[in-house]
Amino acid sequence: MQIAVSGGKGGTGKSTVAINLAVELARRFKLVLADLDVEAPNDHLLLGVELAGEEPVNQFMPKFDYSKCTKCRKCAEVCEEHAIITLKDGTPFLMPNLCSGCRACEIVCPVPGAIQEAFRVIGHTYVTETPYGFTLVTGKLREGEERSMPLVVEAKKRARNLNYELLMVDTAAGTGNTVSKAIEGSRLLIAVTEPTPLGIHDTELILKLGKLMGLKTWVVVNRSDLGDVEKVREITEKYGAEVVAEIPYSENIVRSYVSGRPIVLEDVPEAKIFRELAEKVADFLGGDE
Amino acid sequence: MQVAIASGKGGVGKSTITASLLYFLKDKYRLIAVDADAEAPNLGLLLGVEEWDKEREHIGAKVARINTETCVRCGICYERCPYESIYIDEDGNYVVNELTCEGCNVCGLVCPVPGTITLEQARSGVIRKATTKYGFPIISAQLDVGRPESGKLVTEEKEWAKKLMDELNLEHMIVDSAAGIGCQVIASIGGADLTILIAEPTPASLSDVQRAYKVVQHFRQPAYLIVNKADLNPGFTALREWAEAEGIPIIGEVPYDRAIPKSMAMLKPVVEAFPDSPASKALKEIAERIAEEILG
Ligand code: SF4
Ligand code: SF4
Ligand code: SF4
Ligand code: SF4
Repeated sequence: MQIAVSGGKGGTGKSTVAINLAVELARRFKLVLADLDVEAPNDHLLLGVELAGEEPVNQFMPKFDYSKCTKCRKCAEVCEEHAIITLKDGTPFLMPNLCSGCRACEIVCPVPGAIQEAFRVIGHTYVTETPYGFTLVTGKLREGEERSMPLVVEAKKRARNLNYELLMVDTAAGTGNTVSKAIEGSRLLIAVTEPTPLGIHDTELILKLGKLMGLKTWVVVNRSDLGDVEKVREITEKYGAEVVAEIPYSENIVRSYVSGRPIVLEDVPEAKIFRELAEKVADFLGGDE
Repeated sequence: MQVAIASGKGGVGKSTITASLLYFLKDKYRLIAVDADAEAPNLGLLLGVEEWDKEREHIGAKVARINTETCVRCGICYERCPYESIYIDEDGNYVVNELTCEGCNVCGLVCPVPGTITLEQARSGVIRKATTKYGFPIISAQLDVGRPESGKLVTEEKEWAKKLMDELNLEHMIVDSAAGIGCQVIASIGGADLTILIAEPTPASLSDVQRAYKVVQHFRQPAYLIVNKADLNPGFTALREWAEAEGIPIIGEVPYDRAIPKSMAMLKPVVEAFPDSPASKALKEIAERIAEEILG
């Protein structure tokens, strides 16, 4: 089974919640945490581990065999990304950065062998054993590449191929289709937010996404003393979700964030909040079985 | 001039700093602001925009649809979709998940029954314009949830902004980019004259700003760095060392200041809400340096 941690906007403490929950839940489940914030993956830094098990993500791109190509332009016409430009006489050329690797061009090309397979590395996935009893899978988009979707798909695939009872995904900020791809298949969506007007605005979007996807959604309010939690509650209820935890602003959390050691391992009051949240999640998952 | 402001990671104070810099620079220059975080736009809110004077729908996304009447349930589309966006519902029908479809049309090409899969235009979001109470215009966008290609929305925003610059004879466009390094950020940084990076002294922020800087390098632009929450983590010197090694000038450091979250709750730039706070003083100096050394 799978659960997701997301947050609408960046910087709400989504990764902090994800890693601490993972550490705690790993005591009860054989757990894999997938960091699908492929544009800015940070869970390994917060966990203080070095990424391991690197594998390249190769993306298809067409390579034209001009001795066979009949310059019919079909490939260029079908390319939704406009990644293929043609000269006046119809000779196709690829602009690699625009290519999404979808293979539509290859499918329509009427001449066998005119389009050959070439690949480029658009990023990497990693599988790292953490000292906390769970495995971390990380997707990392290469700088200069535009599309995070293929990386999210590949990293999630790699995570799913591991042996686990509970797969936890940590998504990127935002509510675009890469976030829905990451969340897809979850039994529970945990949205991390802040009780500020900006946080509330963005929470509404992630709640909307959760609702569209038909997911059970919980909200965790981070830095809960810096704003009006009641407002978060209102909006949460409007979407049929519930606020399940409040984490006050804490220097301890900041310190743990900076030092790469999860706070649930420390003997501080904040650790208790994460332990209780983990328990709630475990109860929910267990009780639902 | 077009200036992009980027950070790689969200939540490092990019929008607050941008709002504050705009607040100072508006007195000296004719500006336009672009909020290029189409998935979580905040700059308008921070600048007190309550109403938009103009709004345009952006129909740019494409999604596949399957006609279950003619579908013969062969499963080819399901196997070939590069993004696993086709699923089989309880009734055994093949259905496109519109919330993850990238609109590539591969399914339509491989489907053996002509006309069963169509690629349809879908709304990807809205782009809107307002005049802030500070007098300068802002362009913002909002991607609809579950849509692809927020980068295209950003490109549209910048085109609109450019038009307005011509019409209103404006001098500078300040683009507040999204978190990450993907299409939105590439659309934000591409075409800019320079990028101002914002980072805080933590390992995560350093890692992300390094990635954003690679995008800047890709466009062969000069970069500058503002260190936010500069006193947060005194033992952490790697951020400043990295900037020095790369030859990225640090144009200022903003101390951690509770006035910032407070001002955000008031939906005001911190420099307006708490002009005497340490963060505001630092931001004022930074704005002066930007005026002197960058905008001229
Ligand atoms: S693989 Fe897809 S995106 Fe790339 S060139 Fe071919 S049709 Fe265009
Ligand atoms: S579809 Fe094939 S034959 Fe036609 S222009 Fe493209 S590569 Fe050449
Ligand atoms: S258009 Fe592309 S992404 Fe969408 S369902 Fe078809 S094959 Fe999949
Ligand atoms: S390829 Fe066409 S006919 Fe086959 S399952 Fe998909 S939609 Fe139905």
